[in-house]
Amino acid sequence: MIKGVFGILITILLYIGIRKAYRHFDNKPLLSPLFITPIVLVAILLWQGIPYENYHLSAKYLTNILQPATIALAIPLYKYFELLKKNFAKILISIFFGTIVAITSTAAISGLFNLNGEMANSMIPHSVTASIAIDISQSIGGIPAITAVFVVLTGIIGSIIGPIIIKYLRIENCIARGVLLGTSAHASGTSKAFEFGSISGTISSVSMILTGIFTIFAAPIFVSLISL
Amino acid sequence: MKRTLITIGQIFVLMLISLCVNKIIHIFNLNIPGSILGIIVVFLLLQFKIIPLKWIESGGNFLLTHLMLFLIPSAVGIIQHGNILRSDGLSLFAVIIFGSIIAMVVTGLFAEKFFESKRKEQGSV
Repeated sequence: MIKGVFGILITILLYIGIRKAYRHFDNKPLLSPLFITPIVLVAILLWQGIPYENYHLSAKYLTNILQPATIALAIPLYKYFELLKKNFAKILISIFFGTIVAITSTAAISGLFNLNGEMANSMIPHSVTASIAIDISQSIGGIPAITAVFVVLTGIIGSIIGPIIIKYLRIENCIARGVLLGTSAHASGTSKAFEFGSISGTISSVSMILTGIFTIFAAPIFVSLISL
Repeated sequence: MKRTLITIGQIFVLMLISLCVNKIIHIFNLNIPGSILGIIVVFLLLQFKIIPLKWIESGGNFLLTHLMLFLIPSAVGIIQHGNILRSDGLSLFAVIIFGSIIAMVVTGLFAEKFFESKRKEQGSV
């Protein structure tokens, strides 16, 4: 009985506790439940010698809710779209440009570091929000678990260096700030963007979702380029 | 209590949509993840007022608030790939650092120029 529900139970309990701490410390990216909870869980599994399969037996029910939860991103997309009508085409072009830059630079650097195809494919969607990135990774032949971890790290790194780049390069337009943070650092970048103001935050949310959608269509082209 | 039931009901609506989308992908043999097609479908349903926002809003917001929870088991899956992290971990880390810096600098400068010029145009009118 305990074994049957162990995975899902411990994940939810740890998540609740870590989320409390995260919110208590003003949502510091390094305390993100998506960063800390897996570290604690991996430590527990290794320490207790529990195979991942046993953990996953019940934890997989959480993964089953991932797709409906991701589909719910249509809600902010719909709500914010109304607000974007004025600059619609320009915002869309900027986000598309950002997506292509992110994929190209990742593919090029993966080549530079001699990563094999499977690893490079796992890294291609690293700027995309995690729930979509996992699907992209799977469909282009990457390893979803590797993608998940490096997406989370990208978010943390991006929300730290993003504001430095914005300051240093004097990115003063609030739409440009939102596009920069949303296309490169997904949800973590978006919560930073909201600190710059509601316009940057809104643009960042839309950028995050559209980057995911654009990447799924653009990634296969780049994957065939890498394998050359 | 009533609100909780509504939220739960709406979560089931989203799960149902998710299942339908997967069926469509399966039947038409489409090469697109269910999550992406689902976002596009629900967005269009809302945009064309086929379903009102309030039918899915509270359930959807609950799922979005706790999106991280549903991702945790996938991230824990890294435990099965310890050997990859030992051999390629540093390179992978370098890819995301340099990749993020390049993406942010290029995209940020592009968007800044793009929207800056617009502001000047408006100023001159």
